[in-house]
Amino acid sequence: MGNSKKKLMQIVILLLIVIVGGYAIVTQVSGSGGKPTEGSKAPGFQLLGLDGKTHTLDEYKGKAIVLNFWGTWCEPCVKEMPALQAQWEKWKDQGVVVVGINAGEDKMAVENFVNNVNVDFPVLLDPDKDSIASYGISPLPTTFFVSKSGRINKIHLGQLDLATLDKQIEELVKS
Amino acid sequence: MLQKVIAFKNTKCECGHQNPVGTVLCESCGKPLDEEEQNSKEVLEMRYDGMARRSQRANPNIIDRIWNFFASVKIAVYMIILTLLGSMLGTIFPQENTFLNIDPSTYYKETYGTWGLIYYKLGLTHTYESWWFILLLVMIGASLVICSLDRVLPLYRALSKQQILKHMQFLTRQRVVYQGKIEGDAEEWVKQAAVPMKKKGYRVHTDGNALLAEKYRFSRWGPYVIHIGLIIFLLAVLARGLPGLKMDQHIAFPEGEIKHIPNTSYYLKNEKFTVEFYSEEDMPEEFRNQGKVLPKLFNTKATLYHCTADCDDPTKEPKLEAVARHDIQVNDPLDYKGLKAYQFDYDLTPVLRSVSPSLVDAKTGKELGKFKLDIKNPQRNYTAGDYSLELKEKYNDFGLDENGRPVTKTPNPNAPAFLFLIKGPNLPASGMQYIYFPKQIDKERFQQDAINEKMNGGTPPLMLDVKGMENVDFSMSTTYLNIRVDKVMPFIWVGAAIVMIGLVLGFYWQHRRIWLRIDDGVLTLGAHTNKNWFGIRREISAILKKMNLDVDEKSLDNGGKHA
Repeated sequence: MGNSKKKLMQIVILLLIVIVGGYAIVTQVSGSGGKPTEGSKAPGFQLLGLDGKTHTLDEYKGKAIVLNFWGTWCEPCVKEMPALQAQWEKWKDQGVVVVGINAGEDKMAVENFVNNVNVDFPVLLDPDKDSIASYGISPLPTTFFVSKSGRINKIHLGQLDLATLDKQIEELVKS
Repeated sequence: MLQKVIAFKNTKCECGHQNPVGTVLCESCGKPLDEEEQNSKEVLEMRYDGMARRSQRANPNIIDRIWNFFASVKIAVYMIILTLLGSMLGTIFPQENTFLNIDPSTYYKETYGTWGLIYYKLGLTHTYESWWFILLLVMIGASLVICSLDRVLPLYRALSKQQILKHMQFLTRQRVVYQGKIEGDAEEWVKQAAVPMKKKGYRVHTDGNALLAEKYRFSRWGPYVIHIGLIIFLLAVLARGLPGLKMDQHIAFPEGEIKHIPNTSYYLKNEKFTVEFYSEEDMPEEFRNQGKVLPKLFNTKATLYHCTADCDDPTKEPKLEAVARHDIQVNDPLDYKGLKAYQFDYDLTPVLRSVSPSLVDAKTGKELGKFKLDIKNPQRNYTAGDYSLELKEKYNDFGLDENGRPVTKTPNPNAPAFLFLIKGPNLPASGMQYIYFPKQIDKERFQQDAINEKMNGGTPPLMLDVKGMENVDFSMSTTYLNIRVDKVMPFIWVGAAIVMIGLVLGFYWQHRRIWLRIDDGVLTLGAHTNKNWFGIRREISAILKKMNLDVDEKSLDNGGKHA
C-alpha cells in the first residue's frame, strides 16, 4: 500500500468515527428525557380542532405561536382564558396566533366550556394526550411561546395574567 | 532532511532489507536492528514479530498524532478506567429513567436532600445518556478500531511473507533453543525432519538448509475478532438512541377499550383481565391470617391491531386489522414483530362505561322510552319514545365552584353528571331541564331530585331511571402493560457471539513456529509461541527424538518470562 493511500485510509476512518460518534452523541443527548426546553425546536403535532378540521404545528409556520395547554377542570386554566382571549384579539392581526390544546377531554366537554367562556381562538383536542407527552407537560396550565422560526422562546408554568402575557408576546414578536 | 537520512540508515538491515521506522527485528532475517540490542544476550521481544506498528513513523503530522493517540493501548486503558468510574457515579442514586412518573427537578432534592440536588444538577441522574459518557464510549470504539488496524495490518504482512532462513541471533535468542551437531547431509536432514513435523500438524517450508514449521496461525487473529465483536456491540448500544429502535413505555388499558400505542401504528385491546388470588390455604405460613391478599395469576386477554389506513388523520376513525391475540401473563408477553407487551400492573376499580336509562313518567311510573348513554363520548341528541333529549352539559367529576356553579373537578369520570333539555308531549315548548347522575351514590350526594325540582319549579313530570343492572355496563378493571420494542438486541447477541468466537480462537489454540538452520553440520533451532511453552517444548523434543536426537524438554528452555 502506498503512503498516500495509507493517509487517505486514516483520514477516511477518522472521519467515519467522527460522523458516527457525533451522530450518536447528538441523538442521545437531544433525545434524553425527550422534554423540549427553552431554545429547542417545538415538537410537531396533528390534532383535531373544535372546527372539525385537522391542525398541525406547521400550518402556523411564520407566525408567533402562544401554545396553551389546558383543561376544563383546572381552575387556573379557566381563570387565564379571558386574558388569552383578550391578547388573541389584540395580536391576531400582527402575526400572532393563540392555540389552546385541551388535555385529554372529550369534544362535548370542551365545546360546552368554550361556548360558555366565549373563547374564539383555535382550540384543539388531544384525547390520547400525544402532544401532552411530546411537550412533556406536567402541571396545567403550561404555555409555550414559540417563535416564528419554530423555536421555543419561553415556557411558562401556571396561570398567566394579562400583563405578563402581553410582555411575553411582545418579546416573542420581536425575537 | 537530515532526520530522514538518519532514519534511512538506521532501518536498513545487514541482509539488505529496508525496514520501516520503528521496526525492532528485521522484517526479513529477524536480526535485531538496534545496536545495543544486537550486543545483548537477552531473549528477544517477539511482540507483533518485531514489526513497526502503523502509528510509528518519522515526522508525524496532525492526522498522525490523532491516529497515534487512539492507537495507544495506554490511552485505551485510561479511557476504560474513566468509563468504569463514570458508570459507578451513575449508580449512587437511582437514574431518572427507572421512575415512571416523577419530576426530577424536585424529586432528588426531596428524597435525597442536598446531595440529591447536587447529583441532579451535575446531570448524573441520566449518566448513561450524558454527552461525556457517550463520548467516552465513542472514544473507546475509536480506540478499538484504530488499535486493531494499527497492529493487525503489519502483523498480517509479517506473517504472510516470512523469510525461512533467519539470522543466527534471531534463533539463539528465542525462548526455546537447541543447538547440536548432526550427522549426514544437511539438506537431507531437513527433508527428513519435515516428516514428523507434518505429522504433528505443522505446515513446513524448507529453503536449502533452513526450515520453517508453523501451525495454528489463525489463533493470532483471536484478539482482533474479539475487537470486531466489541465494535458491533458498541455500535448496537449507541444505536439504541436512534428513533424507532428502542421503546419502553407503560400504558393503562381499560377493559374493552381499543387504545393506541403512542409512536407506533399499533392499537391494543384489553378484551378481558382476570386476576386469581391465593386462597388462605395456599399462602405461605407468614402471610396467613393477616388479611393479606396475594395475587396468584394476572391474565390479560389482549388483541393487537395494526392500523391500515387513516392512521394519522384525527378527523377519521383509523381502520384497524387484528394481527395478534395472546393471553398476556407475567413473563409471557404478547410478541408481534419485535413489539412486546408485558403484564406490569392492574387496577380492579370498576369504571362506568355506559348506562341505558329509561324515561319514566314520574306519576304513573310508565316507561316512555329508553336510550344508551355513553359516559365518555355521549351524543348531543337522543330520542326516547316521543321525546327528544338534548345533552346541554356534561361533567366528568361533578362539583360546585366557589360561586356555586357546577364544574368538573377532574378529567376522570368519578362523578359523571349530564344536563338534558327534554322536549315532547305535555312539556313546555322551551322544554324541561333535567340533570342526571348515572351513579346512585352521586344521585344522593348531590341531591339530584332537589336540583331538578329547583330548575323546574316543582317536581318534574318525567325522570330518568335505570331499570336493573343489565342496563349498566362497567369496565371491571384496568390492566397496565409494559410495551417494549428493542430492535437492537439481535446485534448485541451477534456482537457477543463474535467476541466468544474470538476468545475461543485466542485461548484454545496457540500459534507455534519452529525455525531451524544447519551450518557446517551444526543444527540451530529456535521456536516461538504465544503461550503454553511447555507444550511446544514437548513437541520439539518428540520431533527431535524421531530424528534420533535425545533432548530433554527442560534443556530447550532458554529463559525469559514464563507463561
